[in-house]
Amino acid sequence: SSSITELLGALCDCSLSGVSWKRRALGGVSREGFRRALKKRAYGALLSKLFQDGTKGSASGPSTSASTPPRNKVLMICFDLRVAGCREEAERLEEQLERLPEGASSCLKEVDAVLELLVHLAGSAPPPPTSF
Amino acid sequence: MASAANTNLNAVRETMEALLEISRLLNTGLDMESLSICVRLCEQGINPEALSAVIKELRKASETSEGVYVCMSDNYPGRGLFF
Repeated sequence: SSSITELLGALCDCSLSGVSWKRRALGGVSREGFRRALKKRAYGALLSKLFQDGTKGSASGPSTSASTPPRNKVLMICFDLRVAGCREEAERLEEQLERLPEGASSCLKEVDAVLELLVHLAGSAPPPPTSF
Repeated sequence: MASAANTNLNAVRETMEALLEISRLLNTGLDMESLSICVRLCEQGINPEALSAVIKELRKASETSEGVYVCMSDNYPGRGLFF
């Protein structure tokens, strides 16, 4: 039951993990200074997106993509994976989707919102290193 | 009562596991800790698209910072431009 501010701070902390602060300190960048800069950018991104969405909504109404349920978007990704020859990944994705509870039966209130987030972040990380 | 709580806890755990696996298959770059924070932010009503913009921005900032470190250590003229 943390506040949005605390949760955004925690998200910034996640970005800080794995960083060598010994090295960074040599360059004059303190952990606290970097954390502040990250928070500033996080709030900047959040607010600009919220205002942008507000403007879009009043001008042209919701787009087809916005009205597509996130589960269907994941199924569309499964289709793309199959077309690309990644049948196993597509099947695994469908299996996991079926494990998710729907609507009122859900133990987590916002499963669809989380799915929507995952769809937006799909492919945003560098591909995993290939083993030889 | 305790049994109902346990059932709910197991259901939450299972849902989180499924979400983490979906996240991995979609190559979102989220680990369990970040995903848990994102779930809680979504439950607080944060728009998922806006949240994805935040995550991408944080990644960009971390990468840029690596550049800052290199620039600073080499006395690059663009030093301090990013902060």
